[in-house]
This record gives sequence, structure tokens and C-alpha cells, in this order.
Amino acid sequence: MTDTLSTAVSHELDGNALLDAYRTMRTIRAFEERLHDEFATGEIPGFVHLYAGEEASATGVCLHLDDRDAIASTHRGHGHCIAKGVDVKAMMAEIYGRRTGSCHGKGGSMHIADLSKGMLGANGIVGGGPPLICGTALAAKQKGTGGVGVAFFGDGASNQGTTLEAMNLASVWQLPAIFVAENNGYAEATSSTWSVAADNIADRAAGFGMPGVIVDGFDFFAVHEAAAEAIQRAREGGGPTLIEVKFTRYFGHFEGDQQTYRAGEVAYARENLDCLKRFRARVTETGQVEAARLDAVDAQVADLIDAAVEEAKAAPKPTAADLETDVYIEY
Amino acid sequence: MTVGVVANPASGRDIRRLVAQASVFPTAEKANMVQRLLTAFASVGVTRALLSTDLGGISAAVLRALRGRRPGRDGGWPDVVFCDDDAITGTARDTTNAVRRMVADGARLIVCLGGDGTARVAAAACGDVPLLALSTGTNNAFPRMREATVAGLAGGLVATGAVAAETGTRRATVLHAGVADRGETALVDVCASRSRHIGSRALWHPETITELFCTFAEPDGIGLSSVAGQLCPSPRDEPEGVALTLAPPEHARWVVHAPIAPGLVVPVGVDAWRPLPVGEPVEIGLRGGVIAVDGERELELTGTETATVRLCAEGPRCVDVSAVLAEASANGLLRTENQVAQRKERQR
Repeated sequence: MTDTLSTAVSHELDGNALLDAYRTMRTIRAFEERLHDEFATGEIPGFVHLYAGEEASATGVCLHLDDRDAIASTHRGHGHCIAKGVDVKAMMAEIYGRRTGSCHGKGGSMHIADLSKGMLGANGIVGGGPPLICGTALAAKQKGTGGVGVAFFGDGASNQGTTLEAMNLASVWQLPAIFVAENNGYAEATSSTWSVAADNIADRAAGFGMPGVIVDGFDFFAVHEAAAEAIQRAREGGGPTLIEVKFTRYFGHFEGDQQTYRAGEVAYARENLDCLKRFRARVTETGQVEAARLDAVDAQVADLIDAAVEEAKAAPKPTAADLETDVYIEY
Repeated sequence: MTVGVVANPASGRDIRRLVAQASVFPTAEKANMVQRLLTAFASVGVTRALLSTDLGGISAAVLRALRGRRPGRDGGWPDVVFCDDDAITGTARDTTNAVRRMVADGARLIVCLGGDGTARVAAAACGDVPLLALSTGTNNAFPRMREATVAGLAGGLVATGAVAAETGTRRATVLHAGVADRGETALVDVCASRSRHIGSRALWHPETITELFCTFAEPDGIGLSSVAGQLCPSPRDEPEGVALTLAPPEHARWVVHAPIAPGLVVPVGVDAWRPLPVGEPVEIGLRGGVIAVDGERELELTGTETATVRLCAEGPRCVDVSAVLAEASANGLLRTENQVAQRKERQR
């Protein structure tokens, strides 16, 4: 007797949701690859740190989030912004330092924020995000909104006192907080196998009395499943979770990084592990999404990124008068 | 006289710590287990130990301990050789490479530290060399939760030949699961799940499982084989296995309340079961789901592929710690007689 897949696992996605996930990952990839090219022209001020290769993490986590929820990001924050719903054109304009940007061109790549979307900001301070999430998670708990806070941070930030203090506080207060350690193997040029004493960041969770798990960061479905369990647990009052997502970033620590500290792994990952390739292969093999629909998304995303760059370049820069705006907020 | 020890740095860290309070097995404890094994090996005459290397900190911790040993105060260890000829991939390939190197280098025993998944990979690579699987993972239906010192004594006695392999080892059965050109070998169980993706690998939604096959099923087992263990037990020592057809609990003929993972006792519906003879190929009816081996999703099926399962009697030769140490006791392998003291006793 042939058994069909009539009963889906509760957190498995239908065809449209899979398409949304693919669109988010493809948008992040296209955004970052375009920035890689554009940064080389010298038109973009400041530093950019690209998220290409890590798309499954931001997407797999943020697909479970809604307007009640907040995230805190890192200096490598474009992917988190896109996954949490920040306007892509406003992001591009921000990176170009234009008045039409998410922060009116005053923040740049490392400070993109959109509080209306629950995106508390990319963060130039390594380990700056986790304490913020304790605040939003405490607010959600006190107000009873059912909301959660998610802190994305890297392997370098996992060694910062701020991150460890935040995990301790989240556990003591049983906050609806999820700590997503994005271990891409290097803190700038320092290998995490050298700098992380416990070797696995997830192992530290036991010391804070919370679950800690490791997932394959190149596999959207692995991240999505783990995040589903952690976020549901947090919403239901179960407290915080640490998820370590392991993968490789495709570009250097920053644009211009010569990457003399690593060799070969990026080419291997792009060829054999890439989250977009694996996603496409699996959803088409199972017949959940037709390849033509994925192709259509690719084309739509390419158009969006073209338009975002074009509009950003044409947008005005902040003026001297803008220096005095957006400095203080009135409560 | 050489033995090999492979320790998986990744075992015991999957999603079951989030969904089922599974135990956490820190790197430091795995390194301690390796050291306790070395002490036991030396005491029964093992002269050389090949150790796997990893980027997870186990081999580094053992190396630090090795350099810090105090002559005259710390007990003897065999000569320790780290297998570092292969590049570390961070995948199951590392276990395979290490075990193959050890076997090629004359190891007469392979000890593996990990869960069911690690034991499965080591078993596939160790050939006829006796395997001693110690639990540092999650489900652990196959590897035993044993004190490493005691297990090391037993393994060492088999490796040196002090206890004959015929007495101290048992041949395990395995399940071969295959689809198209892909295949996996399970030590405990194979199941078909309606889950569409490998995802986070572990299976903790029994309602997605349609068919279950077990090499053995013990009433006090953990993991999916515990379902059969409470319904139709099948001893570890007998070659025959069991095959079960699962169904939603509300429609099933039997509902078993089974510990399918540490901290997770759930109702599992079973419609039918039967003995599974060695050698019979069984076609799995599911299309488009996944095949899980020893509780971990490993093979994704397309909508047109058919997977098959077959029980095979030629599994790994496993060290039976209890049997070895009973033999040691019967033959006085771990005791000596003090003639002087006995003579003094007689004179009194």
C-alpha cells in the first residue's frame, strides 16, 4: 500500500509559505551580492559586512515572528533586517547614506533600524544586541503580549560579557528570549575553534539553565524547525533558548578583507552546502513548489534590487540642517 | 598491542535538548572518558592507543592531560598516537576516516564515544574488529551507558586476547535502508516518516511515522525501538527483528506509551506487527517523506522513489562488557594471589 503525505507535521510549510521563505533568502542573497559589487566602486560610505551564505538563519527564525516580536542584530545585519520585514529600498538608501534611508542616511550599514517592524537595529557594538532583547522580552512578559525577543549574535559576541550577562538574566527572569548564535567560524579573522573555550557555543546554555542546541545553518528546514520549538516554548512561558547556527560566510569579515586566514571552505560551501540550492532542490523534488515559480521569484528580486540601487543613488544626501534632527526622542 | 578510540565532538547536542530535556554531554567529560579508558587499557596490557582528533576540544584536552602527566605519580598509559592524517570535515566522515585508519594501523578494538548515530558510522567502518560503543549521545539504544573504566577493562581484555572474541563479543544485526543509489545502515531501527525534510534530523513527532523496523526491541529500551519493546519484545541476542505498521493513536489497534526520547513519553499507535526475518527485503509504502535510521532523519524521498529495508545478520562484532568481566572473574584475569601473605596466614 502506498502512503501519501496527507498529514503534514504541524510546523511544516505549505507551498506559498515555502515561496515566501525562498523570496526572503533570495532577496538577502541578491542584496548582499549587489552590495559586494557596488562597494568596490567606492560610492558607499563606511564599512559593510555581508550576510551572504547565512540566509537560512535569519529567514528560518524570523518566519515565526510577528508584530509582537522584536529582534536585535549585529554589524552583519542586512539579512536580519530583510527577514524581519524592513523595506529593502530604504535599507539600500541607508547604506548609501541618503535621506530616504531607514534612518535618514545617518546610520549606514551598521545601524539600520526600524522600530515599526520590531527591528531594534544592526549594532556596531559586538555583543550589543542580547541585553536589548532582555528588555523587549521583559516588556512582552509584563504586558502579556505573547511576544518574544530574538538576539542574533556571532561567535565573537558569544565571548562578550554582555551576551553572557543577558543569557543569565533571561534565565533568571524566565524571559521569552531566544539567543541565536550565528557561528560562521571567525570573529573577524580569529577562528572560533581557538577563541570559544567551550568549543560549542551551545554548550554554554547548560550553565545558564536553558536548552542549547546546534543546527546546520546551511539548512533552512533545520533552522526553521529548531526556531519553531524555541519560539513556541518562549511564547508559552517556557523561558529562553540558545540556538547555535553553524555555517560559513561567503565574503570576508568586511568588504576589502583579504581573508588570508582561510582557504577553500567558501568554494566548497557555495558548491555543496548552499542554503538556496538545497532549498530549491528539496521543494522541487517533493513537488511542493514548481521550479518556474522559484525562477519567477529570482527575476522579481533582481528587479527589486536594481530599483533599490538606482533609487538610492538618485536620492538626496542629508544636509547640515539634518544634523539636529533625530537626536532626541520625546516620550 | 593496539586499540583505537574515536570520540564524536558533536554528539549529544541536537534539538532533543530543546524538545525533550535530553542530557548534555560536555566536551570535558568526553575527554575524561578517553583518559579513563587509557588507564584501563594500560592495566590489562594494551601498549598503544590510537585516538581520533577533532576541532571540538576532546583531543586537545587529552593532549593537555598527556603532557601534564606526572611520572611516578600518575598511572601508566599506553603510547598515545593521534590520528591526524585526514582533514577534519566536521561531519560523520571524520568518524569513518578515523576508524578506517585505526583498523588499517592494526587496532584490535574500536571504542566509540557518541550516540546511536556515532556507533552506526563506526560500525560501518570497523569491519570485523570488535566494537565497544559507549554512550555520550541522546537516545542510546545501541551504545551502553557504561563507566568507561570498566568498559575499558573489558575492551582491553578482548583486544589482548585474554578473553576470546567468541566469549566476549556478540555479533549484532543491522538494517540496511536504501533508495536509488543512496543507503544507510541502522543498528537499532529504521522508520518511514511523513516529515518532508531532514531538517534538524531528530524525530520527535511519532504521528508522522508510518512504518518501523527494529533489529532488536527491549522492554527497557529508549527511542523508537521502545515502542516494539513494550508490544513485541525482540531480544538483542537473536537475529530476528520486528516490523511494525503505525497509525494515529485514535484509530490504532494498540497504543503504546513509549519513551521515544529522553524526557518524552508519548502515545504511539500501532496497527500491526510481525517478526522480521533476516534477509527479507521489505518495500516501504511511503512516498515523498524521509527515512530515519536510529532516530535521525537521513534519506529524503522524492515523490516517485521507493525505499527498501532489509535485516542483515552480519553487523558489527560488539564487546559484551558483562560477559568479558564475568569471564575475567571466573579465570582470575584481574586478580593475583599473594603467596607471601598466604604463607604468613597459614603460619598464624
